[in-house]
Amino acid sequence: MRKFYSTTAAFRIALEAIRANKSRGILTTLGIVIGIVAVVTTMTAANGLGNRFKESVSALGSDVLYVSRRPWVFSGNFFQFRNRQNLQMREAQKLNTGLKNALAINPTTNTNKNVKYLSKTLEAINIIGTTEKHMVVSSSVPESGRFLTGFDIQSKKRVCVIGSEIKENLFGDIEPINKKMKLGRYTYRVVGVMEEQGSAGFFGGPNFDRQIFVPITSFMSSFGSHNRDFNIAVKAAPGVVLADFEYEVIGEMRKIRKLKPTEEDDFSINQMNQLVGAYNNVMGVIVIIGLVITGISLFVGGIGVMNIMFVSVTERTKEIGVRKAIGAKRKSILTQFLFESSTICLIGGVFGIVLSFGITALINKLVMPATISLPIVFVALLVSVLTGIFSGFIPAFKASKLNPTEALRYE
Amino acid sequence: MALNIQNISKKYVMGIEEVHALKDVSLKIDNNEYVAIMGPSGSGKSTMMNILGCLDIPTTGTYHLEDEDVSEMDDDQLADVRNRKIGFVFQTFNLIPRADVFHNVELPLIYGNIVPQKRKVMTDEAIEKVGLTDRAHHKPNELSGGQRQRVAIARALVNNPAIIFADEPTGNLDSVTGREIMGILDGLHRAGNTIILVTHEKEIAEHAHRIIWLRDGLIESDTVTQRAAATMEIVNN
Ligand SMILES: Nc1ncnc2c1ncn2[C@@H]1O[C@H](COP(=O)(O)OP(=O)(O)OP(=O)(O)O)[C@@H](O)[C@H]1O
Ligand SMILES: [Mg+2]
Repeated sequence: MRKFYSTTAAFRIALEAIRANKSRGILTTLGIVIGIVAVVTTMTAANGLGNRFKESVSALGSDVLYVSRRPWVFSGNFFQFRNRQNLQMREAQKLNTGLKNALAINPTTNTNKNVKYLSKTLEAINIIGTTEKHMVVSSSVPESGRFLTGFDIQSKKRVCVIGSEIKENLFGDIEPINKKMKLGRYTYRVVGVMEEQGSAGFFGGPNFDRQIFVPITSFMSSFGSHNRDFNIAVKAAPGVVLADFEYEVIGEMRKIRKLKPTEEDDFSINQMNQLVGAYNNVMGVIVIIGLVITGISLFVGGIGVMNIMFVSVTERTKEIGVRKAIGAKRKSILTQFLFESSTICLIGGVFGIVLSFGITALINKLVMPATISLPIVFVALLVSVLTGIFSGFIPAFKASKLNPTEALRYE
Repeated sequence: MALNIQNISKKYVMGIEEVHALKDVSLKIDNNEYVAIMGPSGSGKSTMMNILGCLDIPTTGTYHLEDEDVSEMDDDQLADVRNRKIGFVFQTFNLIPRADVFHNVELPLIYGNIVPQKRKVMTDEAIEKVGLTDRAHHKPNELSGGQRQRVAIARALVNNPAIIFADEPTGNLDSVTGREIMGILDGLHRAGNTIILVTHEKEIAEHAHRIIWLRDGLIESDTVTQRAAATMEIVNN
């Protein structure tokens, strides 16, 4: 035999009670609605930002190591790396001959220059000197035109490939291919436009759409080779474990720099995952803040619901007496009021989710792509029901313990 | 034997004051008896009803309801006994205002864990017995006082209890409607139910076959009514 009376009946009884006090119920759910909106939008925004970030940094390639003077992500003082030497072009060449498991090596260097087309100027644009190997180490591809070729590099061609944002901001509706533009004082011919990467710039990450690629050789003759710091991207050959490859790269670099076994590395090995990790840290803090706000509003909402439930229990003392007289046990009364409080909160939760869909649609339109995932909806509903159970428990317990004769005498 | 109380007392403590609502009362009521409890206000009628109806436990004494000793039961056990063996009809009807007639009458069956299909059959049957089938989906506030009390009676008898208790069932009704309600109770008695009612009115009490008079928490008299005597004569002849 079932231990407890029919849940459909219990649910119906709860709905009857809530319907009898519609406006009061709706007001009570406000705190819950806000709490649920907070939880859903925080999670959705975090997901959206996360996806977007990962998408844009994916251009760096997950199996590519970047050797550079400083780590991309570090804690503490920037100046701790000041004694490190710049990476040199010839170190890249030595690395190229030394590494056995590398598929490709791509040295790059960069500088910020104002760029100009006709009368329009963009300030402090990242100019990157690179080689045709960029196409191997990075997943990004040109959307129109072509990328730099080995021939461009060898013959120091003054050609460039621009990011999608440069095209938009500098050329507008004009077709940029074969147009001549100024990088600092030098004239370069546009040969390609890169596909849009989506900006990771919102967390201080690199903005891959706002940069210009030029042959590394022409870069050095235009902007100088003295005191230049290089980055070296090294991509592992297929089937090589990245950790092993990293070990090989570190060993090779130490050999090139002639470090003694007791000396620390005076260079850094970076990879995409470090950016993702750093991003996750920042996002973690934001999510925690969101959850604290959620917690506070659910708590306030829960207190409101508790208050209403106390009122409801007192108002219905006689009804409780009647229910007990015809055979309701403590547990039946307890569950009746728990059903009522969780249904109130569930209604608040559903309102909150509906509202969140609206807000998300707005975010989608104005800020970034974001979608509410099914697990988030599920979590939100669960959270609202749990809030209902927590806030309804004390009033429901009080109701369940009422003495039937005294409850029946209550006027 | 429907019920048997031995040396029951009930004491209410209010601060330093003690009220002895019942003082050493013993009483046996057989199956299919029709009993009226009468007495002045404050004599302990409702207290007695509450104990007989298992809503409250006596301070001292024993109470056997059919074959069960209920004087020592806890809250939930008493609730279970009330659900299976007792039906209540109150002076103020005490229906759930938000629920329609059907759902009011169905309630004891829900608490009794009866399966839905069976609930429907039993509920419809009880509503039919009090002649409210066409009102089954009305809310209490759409019904007259007499109709509401009929709903309460249907609720009291829906799970075929051994005893139906009615505390001033006609107290809030005009005399015509009151007579109508008493007619229903008479019918239930003829059908084999045990009925115990509390009333102030001699006329109502005359429907019963036995009248118990309370005064100051004691049974003053326990008499057979003219109606019972009449029925007995019919039987004897
Ligand atoms: N819960 C209670 N707490 C304290 N005293 C009570 C309680 N219930 C009843 N009494 C007292 O017990 C005595 C008997 O009360 P009871 O309600 O049984 O009388 P009654 O015969 O039903 O009266 P009435 O005809 O007015 O309904 C009264 O003195 C009453 O004040
Ligand atoms: Mg009374």
